[in-house]
Amino acid sequence: MARMKFYCDAERCIECNACVTACKNENDIPWGVNRRRVVTIKDGEQGERSLSVACMHCSDAPCAVVCPVDCFYTTGDGIVLHDKDICIGCGYCFYACPFGAPQFPKDAAFASRGKMDKCTFCAGGPEEDSSSEEFKKYGRNRLSEGKLPLCAEMCSTKALLAGDADVIADIYRKRVVNRGASAFNWGVSSDIKG
Amino acid sequence: MRIQTLLLLFCLVLPQLSPAAGPPTNQDFPQGVSSISPGSELWREIRQRDGAILEGTSQVKSVDSGVLINARGEEWARFRVTKLSSYGGIAIAAIFVIVILLYVVRGKILIDGGLSGRMVRRFTDYERIVHWTLAIVFLFLAITGLILLLGKPLLIPLFGKEVFSVFASASKEGHNLFGPLFLVSLVMMFLSFARRNIYEKGDLTWLLKGGGIIGDGHVSGGFFNMGEKTWYWMVILIGFVIAISGLILVSPVFGQGRWIMELSHVVHTIGALILITVSVGHMYLGSIGSEGAMEGMKSGYVDINWADAHHDRWGKVCHDENLIVSAEEYARLQGRKPGDSGELATEQGK
Repeated sequence: MARMKFYCDAERCIECNACVTACKNENDIPWGVNRRRVVTIKDGEQGERSLSVACMHCSDAPCAVVCPVDCFYTTGDGIVLHDKDICIGCGYCFYACPFGAPQFPKDAAFASRGKMDKCTFCAGGPEEDSSSEEFKKYGRNRLSEGKLPLCAEMCSTKALLAGDADVIADIYRKRVVNRGASAFNWGVSSDIKG
Repeated sequence: MRIQTLLLLFCLVLPQLSPAAGPPTNQDFPQGVSSISPGSELWREIRQRDGAILEGTSQVKSVDSGVLINARGEEWARFRVTKLSSYGGIAIAAIFVIVILLYVVRGKILIDGGLSGRMVRRFTDYERIVHWTLAIVFLFLAITGLILLLGKPLLIPLFGKEVFSVFASASKEGHNLFGPLFLVSLVMMFLSFARRNIYEKGDLTWLLKGGGIIGDGHVSGGFFNMGEKTWYWMVILIGFVIAISGLILVSPVFGQGRWIMELSHVVHTIGALILITVSVGHMYLGSIGSEGAMEGMKSGYVDINWADAHHDRWGKVCHDENLIVSAEEYARLQGRKPGDSGELATEQGK
């Protein structure tokens, strides 16, 4: 069984936000909900880095630990999904998540939260694969079509990788080896120019 | 680049130049070889290992969207699951055990000489409305809150996720909707009872005598005794903290970050668990635990013997100012004919 993972290469991400846009478009995400976002650290300073971040599909996911109605489940591919029919929109998963992945559409009255929405690794939800119901609730199920998440598939610099953890790790290892001409670099571009 | 290559070469060659045989030790490199990844510090900051939060920026504008990793979240999640729900559940189970034991061992606290049937006014209608509004709202919020806190370990195994989700959803909506009413009734409670709950001389004696739970004799008390006053101030102060933290939790529209929400949640839950636990004791002593106590909040009148036994200083005032109404008058006030129905008539017949 594969173990699905995202990996974002901070040496390659150029903060183009195409992954965010692709995700929104592919999964028909409403305004105010962002399953993926790009965070830039030290913007405009030396050592600036950007990273695209969404649900990282943790092995021991804090969202699942804290969920009061136990709506999370992990698929055989190691993807953390949730059942919107069970979710009550309490917001606890958002507080627990290290990556700020869970999103909440604003419901009508008293600004209360709607049902949680998050990255599904383009794997839909508990409904029948690629059904219209599944699409309405969870977005596209690309995995059932043999495709990987669109955010990673169309990343122009191939900074964002998605797929089996072993394969991703292998690709990254090769990159680090090729990149690290100097022992002082350790796979991260050096501040020293010379 | 050339300097780096030379340095690297130097580092690699250095051990060979060392006169000491065997593997190199720290003494061979007095200056040490700096081989820290330039990225390690950055990632450590992002991972918030030192507690400091490194804020970035994002095109996505939402709460905490610039924070890459929220290290506190997991701590909070584990705390909620392993500490709050387990210790909370134990505390509530324990208070029920204590109350049952108290009932079995100590029994109902009876009034010396029984009930007289002659009553004295203790609470006005408005005061009783305030009490019962707060009580009903409190009970509703306690039950819905406990469903959300303890439902996963206790109710899901019984009903399954689908059924429990309906309960939990209703609990969440009800809790959010009626929560603000708790603050309103709390303010009403504060305004109508605060003055009589100020601690006074004699309260310490009551505490030292264990409030009459230990031993047989009734302990001297004023209109409210020390235990009631403490419960009152617990409700007011902890209740206020619960109400404010609840309002923070229920309105995620003011841009409050996750850390504030986590803190509010923990404060809200601990405060609520304390009040729920103590409220079980209050409910016991106000009903089956103490003879004649329930009458005060039911009709607004209490038996003069009950007043003398539990609140002798107030009872004395009632005697002095001649506030006692006869059984017949009391029945008339309650809209019943004398000897009509209810336990009062039975008391008269004795």
